[in-house]
Amino acid sequence: MTRNALIYLVLIALAFFYIFPVYTLLNTSLKTDEDIKYGPVTPTHSIYFGAYIQAFNLIKKQLLNSSIITVFATIISSVLGSMSGYIFSKFRFKGDKVIFLVLVLGFYIAPQSILIPLVIFMGKIGLFNTYYGLILTHVAYGMPITTLLFRNYYEGIPQELVDASLVDGCGTFKTYLKIFLPLSLPGFAVVGIFQFTNIWNEFLFGLTLTRGVTYQPVTVAVANLKGTTVAAWNIVCAGATITTIPVVLIYIFLLKMIIKGLLMGSVKG
Amino acid sequence: MVVKKNIPNIIFIAPAVILVVIFVYIFSGWNVWTSLTDWRIIGRMGKFIGVQNYIELFTNDDTFRMCFLNTIKLMAIFIGLTIPLGIICAIFLDLGVKGKGIFRTIYLIPLSFSFVASATMWSWMFMPDKGSINTLLRMLNLHFLTQPWITSTRQAIICVAIVYIWQFSGFATLIYYAGISSVDPNIIDAVKVDGATTFQKYSRVVIPLQKPATLTVLLILLMYSLRAFDLVWVLTGGGPAFSSEVLATYMYRVTFNQNLFAYGASISFVMFILSFIIIIIPVLIGTLKNRV
Repeated sequence: MTRNALIYLVLIALAFFYIFPVYTLLNTSLKTDEDIKYGPVTPTHSIYFGAYIQAFNLIKKQLLNSSIITVFATIISSVLGSMSGYIFSKFRFKGDKVIFLVLVLGFYIAPQSILIPLVIFMGKIGLFNTYYGLILTHVAYGMPITTLLFRNYYEGIPQELVDASLVDGCGTFKTYLKIFLPLSLPGFAVVGIFQFTNIWNEFLFGLTLTRGVTYQPVTVAVANLKGTTVAAWNIVCAGATITTIPVVLIYIFLLKMIIKGLLMGSVKG
Repeated sequence: MVVKKNIPNIIFIAPAVILVVIFVYIFSGWNVWTSLTDWRIIGRMGKFIGVQNYIELFTNDDTFRMCFLNTIKLMAIFIGLTIPLGIICAIFLDLGVKGKGIFRTIYLIPLSFSFVASATMWSWMFMPDKGSINTLLRMLNLHFLTQPWITSTRQAIICVAIVYIWQFSGFATLIYYAGISSVDPNIIDAVKVDGATTFQKYSRVVIPLQKPATLTVLLILLMYSLRAFDLVWVLTGGGPAFSSEVLATYMYRVTFNQNLFAYGASISFVMFILSFIIIIIPVLIGTLKNRV
């Protein structure tokens, strides 16, 4: 009995470290301007959504931008990753291992080391400060991880299935459409969630590839909210909460898939 | 026959390969070329000046040296604490009390925050006068423990590391938890038969088996701490007085605020080399070893 009590004590102490910042964030976001004076720890005197309404009005354009960019980049990078992952998992050809390695290593290269050429390139092809530019960038830098995740996912599908289908006269393409795609739904869920959270939370590309609010993603908007002294803390906290809500909900309700994605990407990588 | 068979394969991998070749490898090379010029005005390419920027960087630039050291410091504190914390969390979850699922979910929540959101939240935590941590300490009558946090040149980089620990220890926990759960039950039974205590079971048997998990965690943490930008930029802005400026934020400032593109490119290439040494070479070695 005391053993369990001790375990709970440690578990709760650890939980406090993770939860306390979130508590102060939510608590502050629900306060009135008057109530902020009592500090972030004292529980809010009323559940007040005024700060949320103000924050939402300040960042609604960027919320829309982020939604558009994230949805398209997630779908495109998942589909392309499933195609290449399928080939690398089930077909052998000259240099396949090397090509795969070169592809996956792209994941580890810091985005800063390609940032300047990226910005120049996007300017040259007319995609600087557009949705297309950001979607293309996220798709390109998503390829290593989506390919790796799908390759690992398809390793679970027996090779015999492919061989039989090829013997039956189905080509690479038909086998993919008829056998792999229908079996890929869990894979798409895992990879899609992984990509969605990464792209939604991304900041550096959004900061460097946009000017002004027209195509600016929401992370940049929240950073600006915090950077200006105009917005009070309750509004800043409300803004940060609004941008976090979609991802936190995904985490809480689809935790199993998130865990699968993280393990698939790293342990077998 | 062979050629014909390969065509669909090529079409299927072409988008991924072309995008990565252009956006990662060609751009990396382009960045190196840029770093060898004196380019500073948009629209006009610079003149080739050889390794002049690198000489300036390593012999003359005190801020760069500081950023380099800060990056190493951040890595050391962050990784040095995240790994033990991850192991502890994983072990306590593995002890299998009721409701461990709830705790696991709580430990993973920080992972869902964007760096921007967590930096925003933690800058509110770290404010010296009204911030949550100091307020809480005062409420508990622990005034003597209050700190200047991000306003202190000594503590700013530690604050950045704390937020990183907060954000990534859930990831470490998860990997270790998976590693601990997959230890062969026969081994665990044998340990129990031998009469080992719970502490001995973990310290002597289970944790020493977690080398692959540690490598995975180490790799990912190294990667994220080298490219640390968002969090520093929003939490401290690299300040006060460059005390928390890291390579990534310095590169951004030089390139996009001061328009010294070529000089910025040389800092980026230093980061590229670093990621090569500490991440890519170990990955390559691991891959080659696995194949043999």
